[in-house]
Amino acid sequence: MAKGTTVRMWRRVCILLVFMAIALGVVIFNLIRLQIIDGEELKRAAIDQSLRPTELTAQRGTIYDCSGTKILAKSASVWTVALEPIHIEEKDKPVVARELARILDMEEADVLELVNKDTYFTYVKRKVETEIKDEILEFEKKYGISRGIQLIEDYKRYYPYGNFMGPVLGFTGTDSQGLSGLEYQYDSELSGTAGRLVTAKNAVGSDMPFQYEQRVEAEDGYDLVLTIDEGIQHFLEEGLEEGIANFNVANGACAVAMDVNTGAILGLATKGDYDPNDPWTIADKEVQKEIDALPEDEQEAAISAALQKQWRNKAISDTYYPGSVFKMCTGSMALEEDIVSEETTFTCNHSYQVSGTGVYINCWSTHGTETFVQGVCNSCNPFFMYLGEQLGPSLFFKYFEAFGFTQKTGVDLPGEANTIYYTADQLNPVELATESFGQNFSITPIHMLAAAAAVANGGYLVQPHVVDHMLDSDGNIVMSADTSYKRQVISEETSERMTKILNQNATSGTAQSGYIAGYQVCGKTGTSQKILEDNLDPTKKHYIASYCGFAPADDPQVALLIYFDEPDPKINYYGGTVAGPTFEKCMKQILDYLGTERKYTQEELEKIDTTAPSVAGQTVEDAVKTVEDAGLTVKIRGDGDTVLEQVPAFGEELPQDGTIVLYTDSESTETTVKVPNLKGLSLSAANQTAINAGIQIKVTGAALTSSSSISQTQDIEEGTEVKPGTVVTVSFVEPDQVA
Amino acid sequence: MREQKKRRTGSGKINRADSRTKQKKRPATAAAQSRAAGTAVTIPNESAHMPFSPRRAMKKVRKKYKIFSVRGGVDRMFLYVLMALLVFGLIMLFSSSYAVSYFESSGSKSPSSYNYIRPQLIFAALGCTIMFAVSFFDYHHLHKFAFPVLGITLLMLVAVLTLRETSLVPRINGTYRWLYLGPINFQPSEIAKFALVLIFAHLISINYDKMETFRYGVLPYGLLLALIAGLVILEPHVSATVIIVLLAAVMLWVGGIKKRWYLLALLLAVLVGLYMFFFTDKFDYAIPRILGWLNPFNPPEGMEGDTWQTRQSLMAIGSGRFFGLGLAQSRQKYLYLPEPENDFIFAIVCEELGFIGALAVIILFALLIWRGVIISLGAKDKFGMMLGIGLTAQVGIQAILNICVVTNTIPNTGISLPFFSYGGTSLIMLLAEMGVVLSISRTSNVDKI
Repeated sequence: MAKGTTVRMWRRVCILLVFMAIALGVVIFNLIRLQIIDGEELKRAAIDQSLRPTELTAQRGTIYDCSGTKILAKSASVWTVALEPIHIEEKDKPVVARELARILDMEEADVLELVNKDTYFTYVKRKVETEIKDEILEFEKKYGISRGIQLIEDYKRYYPYGNFMGPVLGFTGTDSQGLSGLEYQYDSELSGTAGRLVTAKNAVGSDMPFQYEQRVEAEDGYDLVLTIDEGIQHFLEEGLEEGIANFNVANGACAVAMDVNTGAILGLATKGDYDPNDPWTIADKEVQKEIDALPEDEQEAAISAALQKQWRNKAISDTYYPGSVFKMCTGSMALEEDIVSEETTFTCNHSYQVSGTGVYINCWSTHGTETFVQGVCNSCNPFFMYLGEQLGPSLFFKYFEAFGFTQKTGVDLPGEANTIYYTADQLNPVELATESFGQNFSITPIHMLAAAAAVANGGYLVQPHVVDHMLDSDGNIVMSADTSYKRQVISEETSERMTKILNQNATSGTAQSGYIAGYQVCGKTGTSQKILEDNLDPTKKHYIASYCGFAPADDPQVALLIYFDEPDPKINYYGGTVAGPTFEKCMKQILDYLGTERKYTQEELEKIDTTAPSVAGQTVEDAVKTVEDAGLTVKIRGDGDTVLEQVPAFGEELPQDGTIVLYTDSESTETTVKVPNLKGLSLSAANQTAINAGIQIKVTGAALTSSSSISQTQDIEEGTEVKPGTVVTVSFVEPDQVA
Repeated sequence: MREQKKRRTGSGKINRADSRTKQKKRPATAAAQSRAAGTAVTIPNESAHMPFSPRRAMKKVRKKYKIFSVRGGVDRMFLYVLMALLVFGLIMLFSSSYAVSYFESSGSKSPSSYNYIRPQLIFAALGCTIMFAVSFFDYHHLHKFAFPVLGITLLMLVAVLTLRETSLVPRINGTYRWLYLGPINFQPSEIAKFALVLIFAHLISINYDKMETFRYGVLPYGLLLALIAGLVILEPHVSATVIIVLLAAVMLWVGGIKKRWYLLALLLAVLVGLYMFFFTDKFDYAIPRILGWLNPFNPPEGMEGDTWQTRQSLMAIGSGRFFGLGLAQSRQKYLYLPEPENDFIFAIVCEELGFIGALAVIILFALLIWRGVIISLGAKDKFGMMLGIGLTAQVGIQAILNICVVTNTIPNTGISLPFFSYGGTSLIMLLAEMGVVLSISRTSNVDKI
């Protein structure tokens, strides 16, 4: 015991040590409680707050046409530019703002505002292309800026064909979510499953230095392979554009081609559409101008309406009275029920009194006594009212239902409209009579086409669809379209009989504007007055001109419906005149494209066009021989020995009795002639005009089977300078045919 | 009557105990003892105090203390434990500070993870040098310094209060606690702790016999404590005040004042508490804090921010489980836990090294305290004894309070962990104080393991 310490000190120090031991005991007890008993819970809380899941974007599936190689929609990497203003050095801020504004094409003041924000994160621009990203990286390197600018990978949707089948493909939003069309319909399949990268972050959100990550890979979306053929789609889009231009169609148009046996849609074009790469811009410049002229407070609503309209897929969202096209259904019912045969006669006195009522309904013409076949070819309304009456409401409605008009077709596109119709008990005589020739009930074009396919394919109602199959990222097929039929509506025999009648209609009846030599087209025209709605001008009449048909008659393959919404009545509004030529043009291109064999009748063989042989480069002597062997006439221009140029060129079509002009010196090749007006003429007048002008004409449409037809369009406009001998295609229609 | 009697018996007991000790170990030292108690500088024949140290017996001729003395070795055990704590502390400081350091400097030209550990290493080296130098310095000279140090401390405390918002006393974290004197800056409240220990040790050692009286045993200490603690609490610096009051209580307790004063102080505290509860609004302010302390994960409205640090600390401690996440593997130091390099460094120890590591730290502190107490008890005079106890108590109180705060055993208040927390001047102060303990150990009657 040292001198300094007393016993009391010892004792008191010991008491202090006891206090200390108690304090340490409490602390150790608390540590045991926190670390060992509650440890797991606290640890989880600590991990939870430090883990930040980052979404790994799944690449959206590609959309292919039926070939499986042509890309209709594809996602590619783009970048989101973001800033971490807090990490940008003060002296760098003006440079960053200036350079980013320049690279991203933004206002410098706006960027400067973002740069000066007192935050950890702010977006600058989204969906920036890779080249621009590289430019930003370069700028960062140049100025030695290591922090503060974030480039985050993202995907952008590209539609390589531009303004092409937009309403079918649809488009995606900023977060790559499908908003319309197939992008919307198949959104979950296309988008795949986003992955997650869970990493540990510090309290301000940057990565921690230790390994602490969990990766759930993103599963890329499925690819869609459509039934739509890019080539056929092109024919339809071009055909519609031409028709719209020719008839000043006010409210757009649509055309749908379908494989009659499977329901596979080969092409679906809507006009008045848009570029899916830029869905928020009003594609129609005229409409945009009109909107710009509106007062500001009305613009927003007008823009919204215009956008909705251009996104609308008319083929499945528009409802209309199918008009006379529907007669192919009524006719099939009557044949099936043995109410008529091809030879059954009926007398059309222009006006038809609906039985049991005092209501008279007029025909568009007075046809007199006609057989059923003639009735179809004349598109005689009283005949079909009579057939409807004979069928009676319940039978009529049974078939109406069986043709699928009471339900949605279930096509795999969004926005299919509901049909409007009378049920069997609602069908009083007048309603039945009008429905019999296609008025008074509303269906969509796709409904009509599906019913036409049933008439064509032996009576089977098929399921229209646009997606043939889906592929996963390894190329395995994960879904295939169901191509089986829903039900048989009419017998194969009825189908065959109706096909023959419709073939005759397209050859020599009201539908002959759709005639194509060798392809045995079956068709029916339709002209329907639009139901007056609020948005229509009540002082004018608004029509829908349509043409629906299929070919070839002996083994129908393709059904095609052409639909023009509000052609200019000042020009024409009849289905046969307005929609027929487009049908003819498209159907011919489609069947050529599909390689369908042409089967000519003897009569047709005489009128068939031929193709020009190749004679350019040959001596004049050889050339003349080759051309004459082909049964064509030769005309030589110039004094040379060899053929420098030939018109028409090798492979071009010209009439069987056409002429080939051979140019033998350079002087002669420079001569041109002006194309004359060839519209509104009879066949012989058109021929004469062409000969006088030194050109040739090739005839399509009604002129091939009818002598009373007049020319309606010419493929090279009047006044164009062409070489002598050039072939101008002139289409003919039967004048003044109503339905 | 009874009181008088009791006091007599009480003092009688002590006298008996004293005389028993003396009788056993060194006869006829009553006079020497009273001399020693009376004047500290003129210490009599040393051999009389150290009968069991043959080596010291050889030096009995020495009358005067030299300024530097190498008599006897320092207590190795204390030194080793101290060094272990220091090295452990530096390693943990680096581990806990590098993320914060990097983040704080990330906006600058040269981001660095070493902005805390680098100065701390330099201060530690400097501190060790000072500690060894002090250990050679005869602590008895501190008698002379007791009042000057107190005076300077009071001056600095007044300065901190009066020179606010000048370059000398800048605002740091919303308070005025630091003195900036050229290159060095420190908290006068840190020095106040030492000043209090020194002046108490000085006064108790010279007035030990009168400690039971009010006039010599209570009044001067009470006044000094009121003066120092009053100035510190005015800053306001509550945690330092608490430590100063506890230090005073420990020293007076060991110094031998009557137990009744503690009861009285307790009663006074309760009365003040009741007064504050009924007549002031201090408790309105304190109640949500107390609720926040009791439920850090479900704090009352408005206390979410104030309990954030505690929550993060508890998560860090819990994350460690038994063996810890491994050195440098803390997650919470990545800016989740505020001040991981300072007051909450122990939470990072718990997280990285687990219960085992935390226990190791506690055991090291316990060993240091135990050894410090042994050294003090073996000190050859009351001044050494009181000084040793005071300095050991200062480390012990701070360590225990810090660990209590970090584990949410007591409400959150800013107390740093000795040898671990960042702070250059306070580390130097601490090591110098430990140098004094080592100095005491040189002449202390202990088996220097």
